[in-house]
Amino acid sequence: MTSSAPTRSRAARRVRDAVAGYLFVGPFLLAYVAFLLWPFARGVWISLHDWNLLAVAINPDAKTFVGLDNYVRMLWGDGLVWSLDHQWGVRLLGLALVAGALWAWRRGAIGRGTALAAAAAGLLVFGFALGLHPGEGGRWGDRRFWPIVGNTLTFVALTVPAVAAMGLALAIGLNRDDRRSAVLRTFFFLSQVLSVTVVTLIWQLTLSPRQGLIAHAFRSLGLEPLAWVTSPDLAMPAIVIATVWWSLGFAMILFLAGLQEIPAERNEAARLDGAGPLQLLRHLTLPALSRTTTLVVVLQIILHFQVFGQSHLITRGGPNDATQVWVRYIYQTGFRNSELGDASALAIVLFAFMLVFALLQMRASRGEA
Amino acid sequence: MRRIRPVLALLVLALFASPAFAQDTTITLGRFFGACDVSGVSIANAVGEPCIIQAIVDAYSEADNGVTVDTLPTDWGNYYDQIKASYAGGIDVDDWAPAAREAVTFDGRIYGVPMDAHANLWHVNMELMEAAGLVNADGTPILPSSPEELLAHAQQVKDATGADYLAADFAQFPIGVRLVMTLVWQQGAELFADGVADVDSAEAVRAVETIVSLFDGRYADPRLDYADSQQSFLDGEAAILVNGTWVVDFYDAQAADPAVALTDYYAADFPTLFAEDATWANNHLWAVPVNTSRDAEAYQAALGLLAHINDQNLAWARTGHLSVRTSVLESDAYAALPHRDEYVRTAAIARDVVPVVRYDAIQDVLNRELQAIWLTGKPISEALGDADLAVQDLLD
Repeated sequence: MTSSAPTRSRAARRVRDAVAGYLFVGPFLLAYVAFLLWPFARGVWISLHDWNLLAVAINPDAKTFVGLDNYVRMLWGDGLVWSLDHQWGVRLLGLALVAGALWAWRRGAIGRGTALAAAAAGLLVFGFALGLHPGEGGRWGDRRFWPIVGNTLTFVALTVPAVAAMGLALAIGLNRDDRRSAVLRTFFFLSQVLSVTVVTLIWQLTLSPRQGLIAHAFRSLGLEPLAWVTSPDLAMPAIVIATVWWSLGFAMILFLAGLQEIPAERNEAARLDGAGPLQLLRHLTLPALSRTTTLVVVLQIILHFQVFGQSHLITRGGPNDATQVWVRYIYQTGFRNSELGDASALAIVLFAFMLVFALLQMRASRGEA
Repeated sequence: MRRIRPVLALLVLALFASPAFAQDTTITLGRFFGACDVSGVSIANAVGEPCIIQAIVDAYSEADNGVTVDTLPTDWGNYYDQIKASYAGGIDVDDWAPAAREAVTFDGRIYGVPMDAHANLWHVNMELMEAAGLVNADGTPILPSSPEELLAHAQQVKDATGADYLAADFAQFPIGVRLVMTLVWQQGAELFADGVADVDSAEAVRAVETIVSLFDGRYADPRLDYADSQQSFLDGEAAILVNGTWVVDFYDAQAADPAVALTDYYAADFPTLFAEDATWANNHLWAVPVNTSRDAEAYQAALGLLAHINDQNLAWARTGHLSVRTSVLESDAYAALPHRDEYVRTAAIARDVVPVVRYDAIQDVLNRELQAIWLTGKPISEALGDADLAVQDLLD
């Protein structure tokens, strides 16, 4: 057999490649298992227990296995009923989005799999889940959980589009090779390097109804200053504004990188063909940036689902839970109320939520490409 | 282990011994009260909680006793969370006032060192009260003795000065919870006792209505947080500030400052608006984590520091707190502290919360629902009903 020698050497090379490969990923894998997979598995384990932080720290046997009880209490309740018109406003809006997804599929804008997945998820959430509520004498197991999920989604829904749109606008405006743009780019990126503590301090000073910058501006115009942090309608906008200001720089840098990958000749050719700035943006820049946009949106969604500092330090979740968000609820449940089992269950469900959003978004972007 | 009091009361000393590093044993002391911006101040010259405790600790650390103390300041709200996330020589315990000693004792054993008793006071701007005709012939402020009188006084202040009658942090820090508790106690009721929540009682409704009537009449602003409510009092925009004993020396110093609008300051006992005397109170106490007690050297160093802090109880009481040591309480130096004679009854009317395991969580529930009432317009009966369910869940 003449082929045996090359086959053997090919096999040897494959082994060598495999060993080299594992050696390369080994250190990462080790850290990944130790700092991510193992704590995650342990989190799942803890979430299946009635586990008091202090009691178990003192006596490791002071925990009880309760199976999925923590999840059931969090997600479900007693005497729940389903009504067609419960939360109808949000549900109609959601169903309209489902219809939009199906229409986009008909037009060929998105793939079949994406459209069907989005439609199924949308029908489940808006058609069914949001119609559930406690009937006469019924109650949710955890009456705060779903409103807090709603707050977190609202925060993400307000923050992510604003960061993406403004980041893109800034990037397009500052995508020039002059000194002024370089200085401005630095300025807009500066807020990004601050820690959340500094950001919240700056915004507390800005928003204070007595000593704040905004209050002074209002007073000089003869207007009554707004009590941002203690108003149920303004507290969420307040932490959204602080977050957008903080996160803008990073989105801008990513968009700038994307913009600089578009060959200058292509823009020039389009311009020679008589394309105006708006046409250029719509038919050339935006399509070329679709991958960057996906990256920005996915990163921002994952980041802002985990919002904590802004809510914890500016509004303390208030007033009346108006800005209480998921991670702060985990923190309070675990470290303030010492209910580690409940806190872990909350964390696992948050992980599942983020995973679904990230997968949907990635799938949708693949459909586009 | 007594789980109840330590959770309720304020405490701690987190210790890491590192004797190999230097000759001194280094212990780390975790505390709240905020950061002291002035360094190198002597105990006698320090003003305010952060600087007085820092001066006391520094004096021990700098003394030639083989012990160095690192301080780890943290903020009040997160302090207890950090204790829970991270994990009690030379003290004459017979000198402790009975209530303070009881606060650190469980099953006959002492588990901590009490540092003070602190309670809510009415901090009074006498200039505004004078203008409203609310000062007695002996120079003491005229304070209300019923909810009706409260509103009448508030109107008098508004008419005469345009200022708010009362300010307090109703927006974030749980001063509102402590106020409602006080008014419930003054009617002979409890928000919870013996494992049963009674948050939506007629007494609780009456207590909340009393406070809300101040907001409705625009005699008080519920949207001010701790810093803003304090600032409005110092700026002469409110006649009364409801806050604890911990700021008496600070307000006294502010009133002496010509740049501050408040000039004539008085620290009054919490007035009785209903049948019984009561004001919310608690203790700050020190404890040593159980794992530190296994390191003999660090443990002795920690006890030495606590003994020193106990010795300096008069200096700590200068903040305005009530001393826990009989010898200090009976001393002339204590009686001579500024404003001390104005709130002598506070020690007698001070009342602690019923001990419960999950007090932090219960306080959060009450704070949230009360803020829902005055910040978001949630109906009183609905908010107290929701609070009652949630508190019962936490008691079960």
